[in-house]
Amino acid sequence: MENIKILKGFKTRITGMPDLSVIQMPEPETIAVSALDIPYIRPKLLVKENDSVKTGTPLFCDKRNKCISYVSPATGIVKKIVFGDRRRLQEVVIALDKNLNKNIDKNLDKNSGMTDDFIQFETLPEIGVEKVPRSKIINLLQQGGLWQCLREFPSKDTADENHAPPMIIVSLNGNDLFSPHPKVITENETTFFEFGLKILKQFSNRIIVTSRQSSLNMLNGFKDHITHAVPDFYPSWDPAVVLYQLKKTREENRSWCIAAEHLILIAKFLLTGRYPVKRVVTVTRKNDKKPHLIIRQGAPVQELVGHLDDNYIITTGRFNGRLVDPKSHMGFFENTLNIIPDNHKEELFGFIQPGISKSSVSRTFLSCLSNSPRDLDANTHGEERACINCGYCTSICPVDLAPNFIMKALFSDDIEDALSYGLLDCCRCGLCSYTCPSKIELTKILSDGMEAHYKDKE
Amino acid sequence: MPPLKKILDSIEKHFTGSGKFKQLEPVFDAIKTVVFFPSPKNQYTPFVRDNLDLKRFMTFVLISLLPVLIFGIYNTGLQAGLAQGESLAFIQAFLLGSRTVLPIILVTYGVGLFWEILFASLRKHKISEGFLVTGLLFPLTLPATIPLWQVALGISFGVVIGKEVFGGTGRNILNPALTGRAFLYFSYPVSMSGEVWVAAKSTVDGISGATALSIQALDGEKITTVLSDSGFNLSNLFFGFIPGSIGETSALCCILGALFLIITKIANFRIIIGGILGLIVTSIIFYLIPGGSDSWMDAGPLYHLCAGGFLFGISFMATDPVSAPGTNPGRWIYGFLIGFLTVTIRVANPAFVEGTMLAILFMNVFASLLDHIIIKNSASKRIPNV
Repeated sequence: MENIKILKGFKTRITGMPDLSVIQMPEPETIAVSALDIPYIRPKLLVKENDSVKTGTPLFCDKRNKCISYVSPATGIVKKIVFGDRRRLQEVVIALDKNLNKNIDKNLDKNSGMTDDFIQFETLPEIGVEKVPRSKIINLLQQGGLWQCLREFPSKDTADENHAPPMIIVSLNGNDLFSPHPKVITENETTFFEFGLKILKQFSNRIIVTSRQSSLNMLNGFKDHITHAVPDFYPSWDPAVVLYQLKKTREENRSWCIAAEHLILIAKFLLTGRYPVKRVVTVTRKNDKKPHLIIRQGAPVQELVGHLDDNYIITTGRFNGRLVDPKSHMGFFENTLNIIPDNHKEELFGFIQPGISKSSVSRTFLSCLSNSPRDLDANTHGEERACINCGYCTSICPVDLAPNFIMKALFSDDIEDALSYGLLDCCRCGLCSYTCPSKIELTKILSDGMEAHYKDKE
Repeated sequence: MPPLKKILDSIEKHFTGSGKFKQLEPVFDAIKTVVFFPSPKNQYTPFVRDNLDLKRFMTFVLISLLPVLIFGIYNTGLQAGLAQGESLAFIQAFLLGSRTVLPIILVTYGVGLFWEILFASLRKHKISEGFLVTGLLFPLTLPATIPLWQVALGISFGVVIGKEVFGGTGRNILNPALTGRAFLYFSYPVSMSGEVWVAAKSTVDGISGATALSIQALDGEKITTVLSDSGFNLSNLFFGFIPGSIGETSALCCILGALFLIITKIANFRIIIGGILGLIVTSIIFYLIPGGSDSWMDAGPLYHLCAGGFLFGISFMATDPVSAPGTNPGRWIYGFLIGFLTVTIRVANPAFVEGTMLAILFMNVFASLLDHIIIKNSASKRIPNV
């Protein structure tokens, strides 16, 4: 195992770390497949409202490659199809069939403990999977709704099956600081994980498995699979940061990445022929120490967070997630919910308060004198101003970008300059916007620039 | 709701939309946001943000200037007293100094804010906090004897030509406070660089105080001896009990301010350390060159460091992030060259004894070029990703 040396990132400790215990949540009434967290997708619906679906029935596919389907993680009836602005698909809501529980013996899936009516896909042999042709695996994963687990850099779009990636990065840690702990994700799943690695070997010779340093000691038997350990501050474990540190050639820019829990899903799917519906998620909130939750994919957010008043926002990653409506459902890629307080009160002379417990990467608050965990809130703490070139963004960027200069290049439509400064290496961790004293939306500007460039190329 | 908030809310309608005083919206907004710190909900990812904002950023620069300001006021009074042959106690000197210095500061803020508000109203943007710093830096670089109309003219030039014509805060190439000072220096050399840097000029005729940098030794004399004889020994230069511009005299107070800025990470230490290194290296080189023992060439690093406005300039002017380079190697080079140029100008061109101002302005112009070179260089080292 190698250690990857990363110097820059978010090193403040924050409150609300979840507990390592696990509890099973009761079956929800509705679940949904969200299209909001699937980047670049142009969904084509395959079901109508009131259609009945089995677990594994395709709900929509990607117009760009119609073989890639997104399937139902439950058995029931399509209750509602929610569209957003410009009739953009948001989610397909499915009401779970409650009668299934009555014939519990007939429908019980021994692996998942779920009582679903599964669509049975073809299975692969555990031994000798190396001889199965690559095209067959691709086909199965695309039909089974799990091809989306593989993402391709630099845009993190769904992997292009015709491309042989020079490396695949498997990440044991999720997007947020408090995403589900690798110990919980990998517990009792070692065989599946090993099978998953064999599958990945069909696509690339170089498989990188990364984990945060702090998790290593709890992974016991699993440790041998980890090829690289990364420092314990956000976002060192982000696959884009790992790629930036490891890549040596231009070709490696088009590497793939996958989350460890998704690799386990792929393995389960290929071995059992049934779409795996269980997910582990965390719900974090300051001063809380909630256990990890086992839910069905696409469970309603409301049931996970409970009732909240208007003084909170919910995100799927405090630095790089999306804002979630409590009435919506968890997306496929989302496995953490952060409940962040909105302290919108206007403090009297707030800009000159001593700030004993205010977090900052600068040393302008008394809080810099102690290392106790801090609470973060959902407020800007100031107003937007012109960039003063202070360099705070550069000194925190984990992939050594100068976000202020890239922003200026993008504003003057100089995409060539922005690209040569490394725009596409951006991991969208959000730290530049976090740290900017002028409160400039750097992450949004860079991210929009990357997307415009990608769509232009497509 | 506090009563102040109620008052502000009730008069807000006159300043926004189609209110009677809608032209003054930036002023109202500035007052409102200073009193009640705005902290709206984040609209975009990331949904958490650092607590540092530009108001606090600039306020910390003001705090770092307090030692310099307080000592500057005291020293102005002290020097005025000495010029009249009196040795004043701290309070007396401070009060006497305040009578000279405060009007200069008030005129600077008044006139400067007028321009800020005018441009903010015309361009419909908020008043930038950056001016609070410019408005205190500028008076500190002036001699206490300066006529107030020159103060007004200087800050107008600094704000309008130094900053607003380029598009306002964040877009200026030169440091606005130094631009204003340079304008006065070249337009009114008599009041800026002559022999009359002591506040009490009008009360006592014929008393003049030269600044340390304008001293030249006669043939055969050593510059350091002449300096000591004129009251500019190292200890006086370090503590600052000498005539000079209001804020520049005390090396100690400048170092205190610089330390505060470095510790709080408001100023970049690379510029300050780089500058001091540049000054020391260059002055040693000049010291080692034979000859010139009667000029500043032979003064050695300590005299160069403590005399004139170098420490003030490198700590507070050169570290202005807008006009300094935005890359770390660039900052080292920028700082080092300011130190180098300061000594070179002092030694090689006795007509412009205050080398720091010119060195910083000169390097301001080159800051973007330094950034350009460094960024192109670091971009060429990246593995291309297009």
